[in-house]
Amino acid sequence: MASSILVGTGLKKRYRMGEVDVYALKGVDFTLYKQELVVVLGESGSGKTTLVNLLGGMDQATEGELMFGETAIHQCDEDELTEYRRNQVGFIFQFYNLMPNLTARENISLGAQIASDPLDVQDLLEQVGLADRADHFPSQLSGGEQQRVAIARALAKNPRLLLADEPTGALDLPTGRHILALLRRFRDEYSKAVVLITHNTNISQLADRIIYLKDGRIEWVHENDSPIAPEEVNW
Amino acid sequence: MILWRKMMRDMWGNLGSYLACLVLVVIGMVAFLAFAIASNNMAVSKDILYREQNFAEGFAELVAMPEHYVERVRRMDGVAQATGRLVRDVQVYDAEGAASVYLRLVSLDLQEHGRLNDVLLLKGEPLAARELKGWLDQRFFHANDLELGETIRIIAGGRVRELVVGGVGTSPEFVYPMRTEAEIYTDPQRFGIAFVPAQAMWQLFTDYDRAFNSLVFSLEPGADFERVKERLELELERFGVLEIYPRVDQTSHFVLTEEIEVINTMATFFPVIILMVAGFIIYIVLRRLVEQQRGQIGILKAFGYGKRQIMFHYLSYSLALAAVGGALGGLIGMWLANPLTDMLYEFFHLPPVYTGFSASALATSILICVGVLGFAGYHGCKAVLRLTPVEAMQPPAPPVGRRNLLEKFPLLARMLTVQGKMALRNISRSRSRTAFVFFGLMISCAMVAFTWALATEAMPKFMFYQYEQVETHDAKITLDGPRRRHSIHRELQGLPDVSLAEPMAEVPVKLSHRWRRENVLLIGLLPQARLYNILDVDGRRVIPGDDGLLLSQRLADNLAVGIGDTVELESLYLRDIYDKVEVDVVAIVPQYMGMNAYMGIAGLEELLGQEAFATSFLVEFVGGPGPERERVTALRELYRESDLLAGVDSRLEQLDLMVEYWEEAGWIIVLYVAIGVVFSFAIIYISSLVVLSERQRELASMRVLGMSSGEVFSVITFEQWLIGVVAVVAGAPLGRVILGAFAQSWSTDMYTMPAEMSAQSLLAGVAITFAAIWASQRFALRKIRRLSMVAVLKARE
Repeated sequence: MASSILVGTGLKKRYRMGEVDVYALKGVDFTLYKQELVVVLGESGSGKTTLVNLLGGMDQATEGELMFGETAIHQCDEDELTEYRRNQVGFIFQFYNLMPNLTARENISLGAQIASDPLDVQDLLEQVGLADRADHFPSQLSGGEQQRVAIARALAKNPRLLLADEPTGALDLPTGRHILALLRRFRDEYSKAVVLITHNTNISQLADRIIYLKDGRIEWVHENDSPIAPEEVNW
Repeated sequence: MILWRKMMRDMWGNLGSYLACLVLVVIGMVAFLAFAIASNNMAVSKDILYREQNFAEGFAELVAMPEHYVERVRRMDGVAQATGRLVRDVQVYDAEGAASVYLRLVSLDLQEHGRLNDVLLLKGEPLAARELKGWLDQRFFHANDLELGETIRIIAGGRVRELVVGGVGTSPEFVYPMRTEAEIYTDPQRFGIAFVPAQAMWQLFTDYDRAFNSLVFSLEPGADFERVKERLELELERFGVLEIYPRVDQTSHFVLTEEIEVINTMATFFPVIILMVAGFIIYIVLRRLVEQQRGQIGILKAFGYGKRQIMFHYLSYSLALAAVGGALGGLIGMWLANPLTDMLYEFFHLPPVYTGFSASALATSILICVGVLGFAGYHGCKAVLRLTPVEAMQPPAPPVGRRNLLEKFPLLARMLTVQGKMALRNISRSRSRTAFVFFGLMISCAMVAFTWALATEAMPKFMFYQYEQVETHDAKITLDGPRRRHSIHRELQGLPDVSLAEPMAEVPVKLSHRWRRENVLLIGLLPQARLYNILDVDGRRVIPGDDGLLLSQRLADNLAVGIGDTVELESLYLRDIYDKVEVDVVAIVPQYMGMNAYMGIAGLEELLGQEAFATSFLVEFVGGPGPERERVTALRELYRESDLLAGVDSRLEQLDLMVEYWEEAGWIIVLYVAIGVVFSFAIIYISSLVVLSERQRELASMRVLGMSSGEVFSVITFEQWLIGVVAVVAGAPLGRVILGAFAQSWSTDMYTMPAEMSAQSLLAGVAITFAAIWASQRFALRKIRRLSMVAVLKARE
């Protein structure tokens, strides 16, 4: 068994919505192992995004513990969380969230320049197949190309953990497959742990482990012994 | 109706911004109406006083003219009415002699009907022809806590006389009484006007038996002042015309008119600035609202609401604010106008005129607000017109990224970090906001630099140069007219307290060059004079020679002469008063207070064909600073009853008055600097808020990437500093231009405002603007710290 890099115990998250308290997570235990690809499945409102936000240090749990190696993420202050996101986590979003006035290369550099041990930007551009589009602005790129830039940007920091929230949600099937293939390749080549959130059950077939969330709790966990190739994914 | 409800709820949801806008609109309209009504009250009250008291349209100063000659002037072509007066300044006898107090006695012909410049008697009793009883101007009366029936001891004709206070009044000629035109303040404690029957005056001043030295006149409808002046000059030449000038040059009228003008300017300046900021806020708020409610607009359009209906719905946010703000501001402004008018009357002592509620003023206030906010609101929400229902329901296309022009320079492009590039591109991406920030900061910097230069350089130089650099005596002894100088000089020099006495001859002359003419005082000084220093622009001494004139810069400009030119000089002091002599201009020097010509005293005497004479003496005491005040008092005591002396003035007293006046005026400077600072602060703060609101998604993405709040904020601040640096580079010279324009508009023949601006003032403008930018950025940084990455990134764009 590979060593764990992230261990969450009894994670709860409460939000104040107007005049009522809403529990988005009601006690989740979660462990992520090195070089593992986990898919978190669930309906809208099941708590998937909340979980990923906690794992990525974007938000903090109301109760429970989250350990990244020896670091207690649940006790970090604002600066420590920033440091954690900067060096250990790479985020990929459904709507890319690129800087519209930076070119593809510059968007990736934006990630690379703040990290302590970044990857080579040109190398990444080539790996995501955008070497010839490097000096284009996001408005000049297709959705798939923008998402590839976003993946390269997340990876440029050389984090140990990649978190992708519905990365194929806005893409067509061939483009989506291409993105999934990239994620898996990077997991293998760079030994990253990848957490992929989706409500698309078909995508879960390429995971090493599938976690199904329902109503803020883990409904079931499935260890997938024979993940399929991204090219085989259909939706 | 439903849309109205939606509007109310939307406004409630973003109460802070709308409230800020409303408060600004109300303040703007309060300033507008309060100042506009007060200035109108003042103007009306001034007009009433001028009309009721027959304020003259022309003023002539003469040596002496027989009383009966006034009738002849009245019959002249173009003259409607004329009144002759005897005007003499006397010193008030003060037992302690601590300060010089002067009264200007102005004669009243008690028989004359419809006299010009008549006195409006506020309280007291009629005057009797031969009684030494007078009406005092109300400022002097109140400032000195006088009572009716009290007596004031004056020194007139070499003797102490008792003037009975018979009443208190005001005259259009002395609404703002000044002893000399060169003064810039009034001190009602030390100078006042007393209106005394002509007969009583003639008894006091026997040299003027049934004669006048002042003539005031009004013009027939359509008559031209200049023509009448020419006729009068010919007609009165034999009586020694010193000066004939129109109402616009009359000191009190000039000051009062200027004051009304200043209040009028405030009624425009403040509201314009405030409404501009309010307009900008509403523009930003509505633009953002329309972007945020894109989906809602789509739904409304899908329901069948027309473009105009939806447009009007969003416009109604700003129109509602304008109507409420305009009405509230209008009402409060009207309510505050009369107390403000009272404050001004307290200063000017005009007969009070007030304005009650005015529906048209209220309507004007509302219309102005509707106009400004309607315009700003329209530009804020005009995007509604362009959206089709389908477009509206979809997220907006990503903003187009472009390289900046500056990045075409490879060296610069290489030097920039990625954040630097973002900032640079944002500048060209949002051109209208960049322009707003640029112009705003440029104006703030210019305003601060201008005010700073005014407060620390121009005004002090203007106010203190004369009494610190030019005049360095301890006391000035003014004779009652030109007197042989040697014997007085010897006497003064022989006084035990006096270490140095220098004669000075002040001669009224008319200088002409081609068709240009100026009536000025030509001052004759000893070449080695130490107590009156004529300095050039670099502060070096210029020695007044015997062969030519030194002219003040303004005089040279007015006459259009340069060094080496020749001017023609006429003077009643010339041996032959009908003669004209030619004199060369040998130097031009700066002079901030007054407008004079200078010459060596011996040369002046030779030019005039007169024996050695002086009109005053400058004195320096033994032992340096400290005991001057006592010595001035002793000197006053010594010559109290001498009929040779018109007065003894202490330079330090003048300086003290200046300092006092300056300290009173100081808050205005502070106010202007504060406006500059608040302006910069508001501009950067608003601009930061807009940037935060528009780019929160980008900023949140950077936070997610692992950048700290400070690093993320540096993108915005870098952008602002870039614009800020360019803006202050443009703003500093603009400050200099404003100072130049201000000095030009403020300067008259009597005062010249220096217009130099030192590097220190420029630096102050830059530093204060930068400090305001820095401070407002700290406030905006707090907003970034509170930015919720989760909420922003989860939301659809």
